Amino acid sequence: MSKPTDLVQGTLDLLILKLLALQPLHGWAISRRLKSLSGDVLQVSEGSLYPALHKLEQEGWIQAEWKLTENNRRAKFYELTRLGRRQLETETAAWELLSSAITSVIRLSEA
Amino acid sequence: MRIEHWLYALPLKFRSLLRRDQVERELDDEMQFHLDQLIEDGIARGLSPGDARAAAWRAMGGLTQRKDEVRDMWGVRWFTDLVDDMRFALRSLRRVPGLTVFIVLAIAVGIGMTAAAFSLLDALVFRPYPVPRPGNVVNLVSTSRDNAFEGFSYREYLDIRAAAKSYDGVVANSTIMGIGFAPDTKATPRVQAGMLVSGNYFRVLGVEPQVGRGFRDDEDQVQARDAVVVLSWECWKREFASDPGAVGRSIRLNGRDFTVIGVAPKSFPGMFIFARNDFFIPLAMAKLFLANSQTDFFESRDDRQLALRARLGAHTSLAEARHELAGLVGAFQRSFPPLYRDRGAAVLNQVQMRTQTGDVKNWKFSAIFTILALATLLVACTNVAGLLLSRARGRTREIAVRLALGAGRARLVRFLMAESLILALLGGIAGVAVGYVGIGFLSQFSIPSDLPISIPIRMDTRVLLACATLAMASAVLFGLAPALQCTRVELATGLHAADVDPPGRHRMWGRNALIVAQVAMSLMLLTAAFLMARGFQSGVERATGFRKDHLLMVRLDPRLLQYDSTRTQQFYRLLTERLCDTPGVSSVALTLNPPLGLDTFERIQFVPEDFELPRDRDHVTSSMDAIDEGFFETMGIAITSGRAFSASDGANAPRVAIVNEHFAKHYWPNGDAVGRRFRLEGRGGAPVEIVGVARTIPYRSTGEKPIDFVYLPVAQHPSARLVVLLHAPGDPLALVEPVKAAVHSLDPDLPLLELRTYEDLYRYDAIEGPRVAVRLVGTMGAAAVFLAIAGLYGLVAYNVTRRTREIGIRMAIGASSSDVLRLVLGKGITLVGIGTAIGLVLGVGVERLFDATLFDNSAGVDVVSYLIVVPSMFLATLLAAWLPARRALRIAPSQALRWE
Repeated sequence: MSKPTDLVQGTLDLLILKLLALQPLHGWAISRRLKSLSGDVLQVSEGSLYPALHKLEQEGWIQAEWKLTENNRRAKFYELTRLGRRQLETETAAWELLSSAITSVIRLSEA
Repeated sequence: MRIEHWLYALPLKFRSLLRRDQVERELDDEMQFHLDQLIEDGIARGLSPGDARAAAWRAMGGLTQRKDEVRDMWGVRWFTDLVDDMRFALRSLRRVPGLTVFIVLAIAVGIGMTAAAFSLLDALVFRPYPVPRPGNVVNLVSTSRDNAFEGFSYREYLDIRAAAKSYDGVVANSTIMGIGFAPDTKATPRVQAGMLVSGNYFRVLGVEPQVGRGFRDDEDQVQARDAVVVLSWECWKREFASDPGAVGRSIRLNGRDFTVIGVAPKSFPGMFIFARNDFFIPLAMAKLFLANSQTDFFESRDDRQLALRARLGAHTSLAEARHELAGLVGAFQRSFPPLYRDRGAAVLNQVQMRTQTGDVKNWKFSAIFTILALATLLVACTNVAGLLLSRARGRTREIAVRLALGAGRARLVRFLMAESLILALLGGIAGVAVGYVGIGFLSQFSIPSDLPISIPIRMDTRVLLACATLAMASAVLFGLAPALQCTRVELATGLHAADVDPPGRHRMWGRNALIVAQVAMSLMLLTAAFLMARGFQSGVERATGFRKDHLLMVRLDPRLLQYDSTRTQQFYRLLTERLCDTPGVSSVALTLNPPLGLDTFERIQFVPEDFELPRDRDHVTSSMDAIDEGFFETMGIAITSGRAFSASDGANAPRVAIVNEHFAKHYWPNGDAVGRRFRLEGRGGAPVEIVGVARTIPYRSTGEKPIDFVYLPVAQHPSARLVVLLHAPGDPLALVEPVKAAVHSLDPDLPLLELRTYEDLYRYDAIEGPRVAVRLVGTMGAAAVFLAIAGLYGLVAYNVTRRTREIGIRMAIGASSSDVLRLVLGKGITLVGIGTAIGLVLGVGVERLFDATLFDNSAGVDVVSYLIVVPSMFLATLLAAWLPARRALRIAPSQALRWE
């Protein structure tokens, strides 16, 4: 059973924040979107998404609202807060710094 | 950033706590939605509905677990767990209602007793002055060799106020024992209490009048000019129905018209805890109210009637203030050497003032009550700890199962503590109820005075806080040890048997210690109750040598009507003559204050003849009463040598005195006191000849140590405020109307104070007060003994049950019933023995404490008390052990072996 921690530490948070920055989504949609956007590489197991969502909500980065889906079913939609938008910027910057550093290290060893 | 975070997080946390059901439902819905979508997805991919459902469940990987992970994220887990623990504990307690009720009652008695005793102690010692910033209000007292807590004279007050730099103001006040008050000029005056205060009194203490204004400083500067008065809130409510229009009105005090300028707030009944006073009057009006007309209040440097209080300056320490005051008194000594020999001064804070001055016995009493009550609470706690321990051991298997299923030890201890906490909370609440009863009981002390004197004992926030603290402390005390012990179970054995001893030799040590402590403590409490009862009893028995029954008393004070001294003396002469002629009266007497009376006795300074004074002093002092020639006959006090006063000992006759035997022996041990002389007020004073010696009796309270006492003829020491005593062979109360008629035939306006039988006064001092004390301590002792007996019974009964199989085997292989009895009873007897020995030591300690604080006990150890208490305690506890032990004898081996 793969857990969110199987992803690089903290990346699930970053991915969720990024997805929600584009539009408010419910949990199911986030899970589908993650799957389709990243192929099967970044698969998050069903259900283990929710603890992460609730954690982000407690942090005040996202907030939830019950709305109707296009199929007329009630679902809990999450959207980014002002705090979350700032957090997304910080984490994106941190990620870019990290990944570029790692990439350059990897290139070094190949050369 | 952090604030914005909490802006989002706090509402969420509150929501998950307060609307837990809805949040849970939303979590269900959210997960269900995901699940439904998964299933639909599966069906769309061509799976059968059943397969799709199964696949979806698999994919979610344990829905319950997921939900729990989510709940962890809410960050309120610790709290909801606590609530769950509480709920569960409540449920498991409901399954043992008898035990629960017993425990709650035991804790309630302990806490309630302590609360009641503490409320008294609080009222007497700890409750802060009812003014803003009470912490920096200090008391200034004058000290001398014979009296460590005297007041200051008016002159001294002015000097101190002018010179002292340590304070933000120094105030003075003097209690007036009785003021004749009339709401208008025509009404007959009634007697109320009042207080003379300096003009800065309200301002310095920070008390804002509720209506009107306080005094201006100039209203206290010219003698007898400004007849203004501030009413107390109580007086305003009682006499003027809280009418704001009362301010500006004129009322009559001691025959003079006073203008009401303000009303003190309800929160400020005055600085003194016992007496409520109705009127605040400027010091400049003192001449109208003060008793002693022989000295000049405003001029005499040693007419010390003022209590001084001051507010310490912001940057001044108590030590600096003390140093400064000592310097000031030193300057007095240099300016007026004869007046200030051996005189000093002290600055005391509130607690020092209340514990060191005045009637020290009261607060010592209440401190002892509190200690004894805490001992009762301790017995209750140890008892409950014992009960919980046996209950927890009975649950060994349950706990082992929980541990085996993965519950952490900390979690289990928490759960067991939740149970103790609930018990303590219930006990605390019930304890408040017990406390109320106890306080009602303590308030029964009604002091036989016309003036409102009361100890304001009440269940206020401070006492409630103390209750809550005690409840929590007792929860830890009786809950933690059992919880820790019973979670230390070996799983393998724990799962086998319902009830297993933890390994190790000291397995029962804790319980045994608890029983020993209970026996010892309850023995101590019982001893205390007995000693107290017998101490008071012996005080009463020794209070002989004066008449207590068939006496009527009434206090009169013609100063209330502005009599001068000639008219006062004429009034008393006519009154005694008329009363002597009244049918049913066999004798009449005048006195400043009868034995055990509510006023304090005056003190005289004198130099005895032919007696070597200690080198460093130039006079000695003694309590004094001024009486007329009928006093000894009326009070039935024997003159052991010499003569009583006679009508010829008048104002112009040679000065005479009668002393008590203690006084005579003190100064003239050879027994020739009659005919000796002493000089009043130092070596140059008037010589007074001792003409008689009277029996020593108790003067201030029954059971007091014998004191020196001097009687002077009232004709040679005139006073306006006197008590008339009448001896009636018949019912003294039948004389009430004739006495009223006699007084009113002389002056229809004169109020009669403290009109009652003398027996009332005596009973108050010797019987009513002690009865309350003895009952209180007796109740504590009884409760403790009951708890100890129940605890011992429980221990032995539990042992018998636990060892049923062992006993069965022993009997099967030939043990006799006495062997079995010894087996189960032996330990109980040992425990009782040890407990009794320790209790005996504690009891002797309590007796020492009593002797040092309460009773004049010259008899040493009170053997009789121990002879009663110890054997009865021993027998009672043995019975408690023997009853359950008998059950062991009835065990049938065949049945016992089939146990489990």
